Amino acid sequence: MRPESENAGLATVARTVLVIDDEPKIRAVVRDALAADDVRFLEASSAAQGLARAAESRPDLIVLDLGLPDAEGIEVCRRLREWSAAPIVVLSARHSEGEKVRLLDAGADDYVTKPFGADELRARVRAQLRRARMARRPGGDEPLVLGDLVVDVARRTVTRAGQAVHLTPTEWALLQTLVSHAGRTRTHAQLFHDVWGASSGDPQGYLRVYIAHLRRKVEADPYAPRHIVTEPGVGYRFEIRADGG
Amino acid sequence: MVWVLALSTLAAVTMGLLALRGHVDKSHIALVYLLVVLAGSAAGGRALGLTLAALAFLAFNYVFLPPYYTLAIQNPVDWLVLAVFLVTSIVAAELLDRAQVRADEARQRAAEVERLAMLGSETLNAGRAEDALVAIAGVIRATIGVACCEILLERGTPPEYVPAARAGDCGASATLDAASLAAWVAHEGVPAEEHDDRTVRILARQPSDAMAWGQRGPWRQAAGARVMLVPLRVRDRTVGVMRIAHTSPIELDPAQQQFLDALAYYAALGAERVRLAAEAERAEALRQAGDLKNALLAAVSHDLRTPLTTIKSIAHGIVEGGARAGDGRAESIEEEVDRLNRVVGDLLELSRLTGGAIRFQPELNTAEDVVGAAVRRVSGVRHGRELRVVRDARAPILIGRFDFVHALRALGNLVENALKYSPPGTAVELSVRREGPMLVFTVADRGAGVPEGERERIFESFYRPARTPPDVGGSGLGLAIARGLAEGQGGSVRYQPRPGGGSLFELFLPAADEPAL
Repeated sequence: MRPESENAGLATVARTVLVIDDEPKIRAVVRDALAADDVRFLEASSAAQGLARAAESRPDLIVLDLGLPDAEGIEVCRRLREWSAAPIVVLSARHSEGEKVRLLDAGADDYVTKPFGADELRARVRAQLRRARMARRPGGDEPLVLGDLVVDVARRTVTRAGQAVHLTPTEWALLQTLVSHAGRTRTHAQLFHDVWGASSGDPQGYLRVYIAHLRRKVEADPYAPRHIVTEPGVGYRFEIRADGG
Repeated sequence: MVWVLALSTLAAVTMGLLALRGHVDKSHIALVYLLVVLAGSAAGGRALGLTLAALAFLAFNYVFLPPYYTLAIQNPVDWLVLAVFLVTSIVAAELLDRAQVRADEARQRAAEVERLAMLGSETLNAGRAEDALVAIAGVIRATIGVACCEILLERGTPPEYVPAARAGDCGASATLDAASLAAWVAHEGVPAEEHDDRTVRILARQPSDAMAWGQRGPWRQAAGARVMLVPLRVRDRTVGVMRIAHTSPIELDPAQQQFLDALAYYAALGAERVRLAAEAERAEALRQAGDLKNALLAAVSHDLRTPLTTIKSIAHGIVEGGARAGDGRAESIEEEVDRLNRVVGDLLELSRLTGGAIRFQPELNTAEDVVGAAVRRVSGVRHGRELRVVRDARAPILIGRFDFVHALRALGNLVENALKYSPPGTAVELSVRREGPMLVFTVADRGAGVPEGERERIFESFYRPARTPPDVGGSGLGLAIARGLAEGQGGSVRYQPRPGGGSLFELFLPAADEPAL
């Protein structure tokens, strides 16, 4: 795995991670995966216990298994979001896009499907902790520089390889919402809402076509996008890392 | 009785008028006779009226027209009086008769309407569709005046016509095999009657000009049949068979036949209602079975993948903890877990596909989005082969109307398949073009190709070509799933040998034109 220079800051302050899972073995797997990082580790074996522990210890991140015996995972997500802004990473055994969409819409930040590797989980958890620590919005205060692409949200300008890129108002709105949620998957419904407001109708059906036009302007190769990444059946994500990984 | 009274009246009138013969005019006598004829017609019908007219004509001539007591006539004007009297009587008798026939018909129609109305209310009042059918059978039996009325519907496997509703005394069994006869009538769509000598006669309809538009001509019935079968048809489709049986031969006049037609239509609607109710029940049962299957799939996913996660993590831990050099067993465990996970995924996908549990949500999508996602998906499993996307950056954006997730799965399977069967060091080429109403995604490899006899079989579940190396991995379901996912949304997957060696797999999906943005 790649050494991550950014997470040097993580070591200075211990972060609290709560794992809600009824399977002791999976809790052990998550604990092992995060053992290298300096995190305080809390466990809960049911939805009720998890909600209670979350309320008393205010964790910095929650890992939530969907296959809990006493409640629907999506309901737990919703209940947590009523008062907590902590990132939620969901563990799911169903590789169903519909379920991912419902989870993201319910407030989850990321999901990992079983069986997952320790590296994958560790990377997702670190990314969410890092994102939560970031006070300013990406591209807001200073231009976002990703390789040869520069997005300046404040000045509403985009340049690629030093050349100004002209965007239509819809393309700009789309890019802006993707950039301001960089690193997180935005569901189709969320993107519709961000760009077209509450309106429904034809533009929503054309979202993927707008994305194609936007990619032609900001991506070097629209067949191998590195910035605007498709999350199949779920939505789109703006990758902060210039290597697209 | 009416005849005796009418003839006596005629005699009495003749006697009475005879006494006044010198004092009254001939035309007055004719009027009195006319009155008798009309009264007779009204009371006794046309035959009596015409008889009275003839007798009155003779009596008038014989008794009142000079020379008296002969049928000869002295004054030629009297011929005229006599002729006018005769014609008037006949016309009057005819007119009266027609009026009466009309009145009778009207009464009959009113009775029919009343019965149909009753039938309607009976069927509406019956709660269950089967009860309504029994009520219809009862009304038909009473209306036609037969001993038994049965309604037979197709039931069971293999389908057989069995009585679904029965009214009256239908006896033990028919002379012929009732079920097969009913099936035959249903198939032919024509009524038939069953004779005592075990013969069956089709009831052909007579062409009839007198029938109003939409009505059908009467049947040519043979005498002596005591069983009749009528197909029950709704919108040109046979939904059941009505069987009526009686102790004596059934003979229906055209009006009764027409009424039976109307009743048969009611019975057909009743039979259709039974069928629809059964279908609704079946759909509900299927929906519940579908819910159960989804729950089962979720449970199977969870129960299979959760232990896989644990195994994978332990194997990873062994590798990181520094397994002995050259000992690849821990890596093997991890690889096998990943492979097992793919097989589980493929099995679940195939079971959803064959069970019709996959819902396709076609939306406007771009070809490059699918291609990009497919390339990204296989980035971890290239087995040392190169994957090259052949594209033209200046080409217009290709758009299709398809389900993104399922299209991606289909294309991903084709690409994985090509990578798996390509010799190391060769490239797999992926390209897309528009061809008329379809987008065509082409996956080209430089593998061994597929022999002629196996080019369709490779799309079967679990099929592996004979020369497949044992370590190629996969579940043997990838191509079957790809084809199923394409065909489920109006597309297809085809194989072609590639010029210069190798295979071309083509995925066809419905294309669309770019909307005006």
